[in-house]
Amino acid sequence: MGLLIEGRGRRRRVRVMPALCLGLSMGLADGSGAAEVQQHRDADSGLLSWSVRESGLSLQLIQMLPDYVAAVYSSRGLPPEVLESIAAYCVFGTIVTNTSDTRVSYRVADWRYLTPDGRQHHIKTKTEWLAEWQGMGVAYRWSILPDDQTFEPGDWSQGFTTIALPPDSVFTLLYSWSYEDETHEGRIDGLRCAPASASQE
Amino acid sequence: MREESMGCAVRRRVHRRNNVCRLLVGLLLGSLLTAAPVMAQMPVPELSHQMTRQDNPVAAPDFILQDMDDEQHALKDYRGQVVMVNFWATWCPPCRREMPSMEALYRKFHQDGFSVLAINEWEDPELVFPYMGQLSVFPTFPILFDREGEVSVAYQVKGLPTTFLLDRKGRIVFRAVGGRDFNHPEMEQIIRELLK
Repeated sequence: MGLLIEGRGRRRRVRVMPALCLGLSMGLADGSGAAEVQQHRDADSGLLSWSVRESGLSLQLIQMLPDYVAAVYSSRGLPPEVLESIAAYCVFGTIVTNTSDTRVSYRVADWRYLTPDGRQHHIKTKTEWLAEWQGMGVAYRWSILPDDQTFEPGDWSQGFTTIALPPDSVFTLLYSWSYEDETHEGRIDGLRCAPASASQE
Repeated sequence: MREESMGCAVRRRVHRRNNVCRLLVGLLLGSLLTAAPVMAQMPVPELSHQMTRQDNPVAAPDFILQDMDDEQHALKDYRGQVVMVNFWATWCPPCRREMPSMEALYRKFHQDGFSVLAINEWEDPELVFPYMGQLSVFPTFPILFDREGEVSVAYQVKGLPTTFLLDRKGRIVFRAVGGRDFNHPEMEQIIRELLK
């Protein structure tokens, strides 16, 4: 892990009540003090990563260079169509961890990303990726972060999160999870897609 | 397909006992992964040793898979033993981290009726063979190949690694999602209880 160079971003945690969800998520903290989103830069690769520890869950996002992502799929022997399909996306290695001693769950279908124009966008899920790949005759079902997981204590998962943005794009991730019978929301501002190649960094 | 282009004429589903060819192809494929350490860039959380006891144990789905020497392993042949079924892949850093601890557990309890079946997802022996040589301890338990992912679907595995513990009756009694340190006194205690 690289050296911590700065803390950035703000996180708000709320109990979700549908009608108040948006307003609360933008305005109220939980009173315990906002957990800081930590940004790291890997000393060797120059790639950035972000991590945040929430109630019951931690989330880490790591920039992935397009060439690296392509190598993962090509080294699995997957056809060029698969590589082309994911090449249009900005990819983050993602680790979701249950940090509690009880059950925690998440659903990527509930997550969104927010672009600087203020628009919220759906995140393409593993199910959607697999359906697309199946249409190409490919049954490969690994590497993408599982859509929805219910974690028991000690459980965690990793995989790619795909954002339909070009290299170097900046956006905000809006994510949610369930813990102790409540749905929580968080956000990470200032996420940046990996550059098109390592030399740009 | 890709293997043929590498000159060893290795076809999918045609396993050959040519370890030299296997090693050469594997080293080439392995170097691709080394040159592009995508998932290896990901900072893996500290591994816990917790497994979740299943309140309502169900019979583990049966399977027949080949190992690296083309020998077939049927789960039903392990009935009467305590079996750890682990789903993994070479690109998965926590899989690499936990495998030596599985080997340690296997060596401690194998004589007492404990087995480990490490089921590789989607990959070829040509890739896995050299990978094994890079581990701190070469696994002595069977490495099986789920080339089409059918077994992982039957076990409802969503992410790698995922590990199941089966009791002597072939029921799934514990599960862990994500990497673990299996070489831990609490894990040993679980195995001892299941072996009783």
